[in-house]
Amino acid sequence: MTSSQDDHGQPDSARGVTHDLASRIASAKREREREDNRSARDASPEMSGLARGLRIGTEFIAAVLVGAGLGYLIDLGLGTSPWGLLILLLMGFAAGILNVIRVVAEMNAASPAPKGADLGPEAEDEERNEN
Amino acid sequence: MAGTDPIHQFVIYDIFELFTVGGDGTEGTGTTFAFTNSALFMVLTVATIAVFLLLSTSGKKLIPTRAQLTAELLYEFVAGMVRSSAGTAGMKFFPLVFSLFTFIFVANMFGMVPYFFTVTSHIIVTFALSMLVFLTVIIYGFVKNGPKFLKLFVPAGVPGYILPIVTPIEVISFLSRPISLSVRLFGNILAGHITLKVFTGFAVMMIGGLGALGWLGATLPVLMAIALTGLEFLVGAVQAYVFAVLTSMYLNDAIHPSH
Repeated sequence: MTSSQDDHGQPDSARGVTHDLASRIASAKREREREDNRSARDASPEMSGLARGLRIGTEFIAAVLVGAGLGYLIDLGLGTSPWGLLILLLMGFAAGILNVIRVVAEMNAASPAPKGADLGPEAEDEERNEN
Repeated sequence: MAGTDPIHQFVIYDIFELFTVGGDGTEGTGTTFAFTNSALFMVLTVATIAVFLLLSTSGKKLIPTRAQLTAELLYEFVAGMVRSSAGTAGMKFFPLVFSLFTFIFVANMFGMVPYFFTVTSHIIVTFALSMLVFLTVIIYGFVKNGPKFLKLFVPAGVPGYILPIVTPIEVISFLSRPISLSVRLFGNILAGHITLKVFTGFAVMMIGGLGALGWLGATLPVLMAIALTGLEFLVGAVQAYVFAVLTSMYLNDAIHPSH
């Protein structure tokens, strides 16, 4: 009794099981890929707010210090005191702002805003305006 | 009071003298090179990494043992980091990034052991590490790209009349990299270790000054110190990671200078 049932039912149900299994494997793979992508994105260098703040702070301060140091050296060499220090200190300030903008842009890219959040104009629109 | 002095842990002393350069041969002239406690812990750090990696990869089993798995995870972690920041072309710098990461990580972890010296708490050490990265980027950038490497300082799509302003700013921004890289690592480790010492110092002072009441009061800073110890382990690991990630990002600039 059982054997006849098996002979009858197996091809159909086996195909069904295989099909079902294939789709389950496929969905599991998709799930895993998504998980991988997410974990790769989550593993940004900025793990805590403190680390983030220190990173931005040092980027800014370092540029100002380098600018002031270069200006001082130029003054020493050329005897243009105090203009080299003044101008390069301000340039260092600008470079610090540039550094901070780059770091923040990188942090934003590492952790994108949630879907549906109001982000202002699209990136492509901005590009078009610049050109 | 040496027991509660928060800076005392960073003192460098000579273990034995190696040789003297310059001077006229008499005592106290010239520059004496010595094997210091800092050098001792650098050697210990490198030896620990080398021994661990050699032992854990000596078996090369298909089903890895625990140690082999750890070494493989470490490799995969750094390799993924380099590939994602500098691309496959950046993998030729994998040994550099891997060495930097493991050295800073193990040195930071060594620093968490009581009575051990923290190598990365001295800015000259972190500055040397960051200058190594910086010079690698400059030399490799010029060797590989030639004068095209200077495109790094000329952002694409900027009109010519702004370039005299933008280029110096880009140059300063580029020169500030080794400073920020070294100050970040040094500052985090130094500040963390001082905080830890200050809080535990409070407990020692309270017990010494107040007696029985001090024991009660000392529980608060000790609890804080326990929490800070956990934080310091995290900071040590995160800073090693940040250093390695930024290294591979800077190397990316040397490989693909136009951005």
